[in-house]
Amino acid sequence: MKHLTLSAAALLASGGMALADGHAAEVNLQLQWVTQSQFAGYYVALENGYYDEEALTVNIIPGGPDIAPPQVLAGGGADVMLNWMPSALAARENGLPVVNIAQPFVRSGLMLTCWADSGITEPADLAGHTVAHWFFGNEYPFLSWMSQLDIGVEGGDDGVTLLQAGFNVDPLLQRQADCMSTMTYNEYWQVIDAGVTPDELVTFRYEDYGVSTLEDGIWALEENLEDPEFVDRMARFVRASMRGWAWAAENPDDAAMIVLDYDETGAQTEEHQLRMMGEVALLVEGGDGRLDEAAYQRTVDTLLAGGSDPVISAAPEGAFTHVVTDAALAE
Amino acid sequence: MGGAVLAVVLVAILDWRAALLLAVWLGAWALNAWMAQASVAGARILVPVVFGLTLLTLWELAVRLFEVSPVILPAPSAIALAFAANIPTLWVDFVQTILRGALVGYVLGCGIAFLAALAIDRSAFLQKGLLPVGNFIAALPIVGTAPILVMWYGFGPSSKVAVVVAMVFFPMLVNAVQGMKESDAIQRDLMHTYAANYWQTLLKLRLPTAMPFLFNGLKICSTLALIGAIVAEFFGSPTVGMGFRIKIEVGRLAMDMVWAEITVAALAGSGLYGLMALMERQLTFWHPSHRSVRN
Repeated sequence: MKHLTLSAAALLASGGMALADGHAAEVNLQLQWVTQSQFAGYYVALENGYYDEEALTVNIIPGGPDIAPPQVLAGGGADVMLNWMPSALAARENGLPVVNIAQPFVRSGLMLTCWADSGITEPADLAGHTVAHWFFGNEYPFLSWMSQLDIGVEGGDDGVTLLQAGFNVDPLLQRQADCMSTMTYNEYWQVIDAGVTPDELVTFRYEDYGVSTLEDGIWALEENLEDPEFVDRMARFVRASMRGWAWAAENPDDAAMIVLDYDETGAQTEEHQLRMMGEVALLVEGGDGRLDEAAYQRTVDTLLAGGSDPVISAAPEGAFTHVVTDAALAE
Repeated sequence: MGGAVLAVVLVAILDWRAALLLAVWLGAWALNAWMAQASVAGARILVPVVFGLTLLTLWELAVRLFEVSPVILPAPSAIALAFAANIPTLWVDFVQTILRGALVGYVLGCGIAFLAALAIDRSAFLQKGLLPVGNFIAALPIVGTAPILVMWYGFGPSSKVAVVVAMVFFPMLVNAVQGMKESDAIQRDLMHTYAANYWQTLLKLRLPTAMPFLFNGLKICSTLALIGAIVAEFFGSPTVGMGFRIKIEVGRLAMDMVWAEITVAALAGSGLYGLMALMERQLTFWHPSHRSVRN
């Protein structure tokens, strides 16, 4: 009720944008993982009433290990999803026409974390070693990188032995793998929290080697974007979300606490979320939501260079649009 | 008959696509009913075949007519194409998951359970001690044990074998223990009067009477073994295997490939179950439940 009153008030305030039927427009957002600071911008926009000011009722739907956001989108369970570009483009090629409408994350937080005593000093040394990675659409950047380095992923002395890890860093800690894929804002700190000191590790950031692919972007179904009302709703959603991100980047500590409040599982800890927020702020810094076409092209090129088993077989057409961000930034 | 036509016409007013589906369904039903009544030659095989084909036809029609997105439910024809195009991949996954994981675990788990049942049968002490432990292991959820077993036994097939052993042990044990109790006291007394020793009684009397129970256990475990081996791969695996493939193909929304793997699992499961049922038929021909077949 409180939400309804608030949004009704906001609706009046926003004047021209008000909808004819007097109800706040609804947006269902599917996250690609559980509630954590990686999604702080959206929770901040919700908590600080930025969505209400745009006359939007936003439902944030947390993801999890067995939730594929594109499938939720296809099934009508959400209006927009957050997704990494490789996985979204793969979904697009497999018959789900999703379109990038905004790109809050301008940098990649993906990196390889290796034991320093494994003798790996640069990515080319990976041949003959074991790497653990999570698979669920997140493995594409790694496969492309190895293909560019001409390192096979079928094992052997001159190839990488690839393991499909569960969703923790145990394979690295147990030394079942010499390297593991980690995010600067999440898994890396799980390794540190397990009692490993940073100088026992070597890390290779995808961003530093020019093989990074775009991560958390906002995607919607192509057919919906033909509807001007939907585009307007998305523009307001993106505008409020980017306000949320700007606030979160300026007030990382408060943002992390807001995220913790919304974590219904109670699984997240304050220390971890504070650190995550600090790292995530670096990834969104300098972005206004508008997709950088050069970064898009680099992502597509990286994915197309996937060797014998490329992630996408042809350069996608119409996989992004500036319509929404242009409208959002017009004010 | 008139009622069926009327129903189709009524539905057609609302939605011609639903009416078409209904018509196909009712038509196939009528065909099957007629074949069963008129005792058409080969009806015992034809009826289930027609039923299966009807389901596939309805699936294909529904997906096409209602334009269901392939990432929600692919058509059977698309699944068949994916199956045909990926036979080498499906084969290495089959070898990894079914042959090296499920089957090895099945044989090991059922074998150990059988030996444990023999031991329990001989000792009241074990009966009080082992059965509760078996029960305890059976109650462990696979999502809890699989990650731990992967950590203990590595990412390869050995951890999948361990998961399968843990899953099939208890159902097999309970059935085998019950089976060992099946022979009557009077039958055992008769063996005693023949001066048969323990092993002779076991081989000639008690194992044969236990057979229906042993096969019950083996049949239940045949499907459990497949589920265990596939699900365990979700929690860690090399880059091959049916569970691994299902997981990554869901990630890239290639649902036709996911269904192709499901088809392989269904075929393998039915095959193993059928093999057990066939062996049961051969070995327990004397059992009352099979007598009617020869009428």
